[in-house]
Amino acid sequence: MSFSLDVTECNHGLLSGIISPVRPTLGDGFGFSSAQAIVEPLTKLTRFLHKDPVCSSSIASTPDIEKKYVHRVYDAIAPHFSSTRFAKWPKVAEFLNSLTPSSVVLDSGCGNGKYLGFNRDCLFIGCDISAPLINICAERGHEVMVADAVNLPYRSGFFDAAISIAVLHHLSTEERRKRAISELIKSVHKGGQVLITVWAVEQEDKSLLNKWTPLTDKYSEGWVGPNSPKVRSSSSTILESIPETEDNCPNDLYKIRETTTETHCKDSEEERLKEQTSRDDGVPLPLEDTIMISKNRSTTSTSQQEYFVPWHLPYHRAEISGTSAAALANGLAKKDDKKGAVVYNRYYHVFVEGELERWLYPFVLYAFDVKPA
Amino acid sequence: MRLLTHNMLSSNIKGVTNGFPLQLEVEKMVVKEVAFNGDFLKNIFPKIEWKALLDAAVAMGCGDLPENAEATMLDNEEFLRKFHHALLQLHLEEGALICPETGRRFPVSKGIPNMLLHEDEV
Repeated sequence: MSFSLDVTECNHGLLSGIISPVRPTLGDGFGFSSAQAIVEPLTKLTRFLHKDPVCSSSIASTPDIEKKYVHRVYDAIAPHFSSTRFAKWPKVAEFLNSLTPSSVVLDSGCGNGKYLGFNRDCLFIGCDISAPLINICAERGHEVMVADAVNLPYRSGFFDAAISIAVLHHLSTEERRKRAISELIKSVHKGGQVLITVWAVEQEDKSLLNKWTPLTDKYSEGWVGPNSPKVRSSSSTILESIPETEDNCPNDLYKIRETTTETHCKDSEEERLKEQTSRDDGVPLPLEDTIMISKNRSTTSTSQQEYFVPWHLPYHRAEISGTSAAALANGLAKKDDKKGAVVYNRYYHVFVEGELERWLYPFVLYAFDVKPA
Repeated sequence: MRLLTHNMLSSNIKGVTNGFPLQLEVEKMVVKEVAFNGDFLKNIFPKIEWKALLDAAVAMGCGDLPENAEATMLDNEEFLRKFHHALLQLHLEEGALICPETGRRFPVSKGIPNMLLHEDEV
């Protein structure tokens, strides 16, 4: 699932977004969606971000579950992970190829940097929270730094475009996912573009075996700790059709369902809509009031969305990295002799249809003529 | 780390109101040749905070840039060459970036800045 957003300036000092519908391509199979939107002015955006200063620090500081089941895991598996990460997702490639020559592009959560330099006419800057992955990027000659997608260290509006590819699903609370989105939007100037992709719950290929571990209350108590994000579903029911695609076959990366949503916007509606979508103090109304796109969608609150997704690090790889012995000792990883691999669990929040768009709606003033695909 | 990168970075420590520009602490700098692209330089110029670039270049031992720069100078080949060199070819290899408000030191090692904040800084 992905969402691309063009931030453009229009009358009244507002930002408007023109997002071309992204049509699914056969064989592509990834859960992409897109929409056209008018975007909140930056001042309002900032107010939205900081409307609750009490908890802003907890949003920005990394929860234990991400430290243990995202950061440490990627640090430990970095070389192996990188060696399996070369296939480019077609929609990302299409987006990057569409950028104006000389664009400055931020890849927030760039991993091993497979998209850095993808469009040779653009200048790329990558950041990731994993130093071992960033070292791999630097060795390949990319301009990169270690930084947190939830707390980007850039001047506002510097970039022409920003991408976040398969990153947001590693953030364990809604607030942090929203914060990462707003950090991305803040990083691009008026007229800039943002592309976000995440893993989706809805999967097309239902025959794939489910190897993901749903995070239930049991797990959250035992593994995650008291300050961890609340697990959405108390049921251990597993949604069908979550494929294990990241393990060994990069080509399977594409096999996620694709959805398309078209939304059109109209500048002349701005003033009326400003009233509709914000309170007197300019703070956007609760999301439900501004989302017109999701009204026909079924409720998804009972879906299982929190998972541990295994990463199998072959024994010969594990020996090289040296960190696996420690991970095994402290219970962060376990051995699977049958597969000859050290198995790490990675935390995933898989997105339901419409969820990504919903988080972008605080930045959206108005959208109409919605035709869910 | 290029000076272009330095020019886009800003300290985002909680409570800091103006984290730009970060001061350079230079232990080791290197020059890496890169193809000249006049169109790119013209496109990026309006985004560049000149004083920050100038000071950073001086800190890196490069005193070639003029005190002030205007868009009209982009037609001057000699100026473009100097701009190109300072912006894209000078790399901070070892050293640090210092937050102008708090003095917090962000280390740069093997050309990679570490901009991660501590728990009490977010």
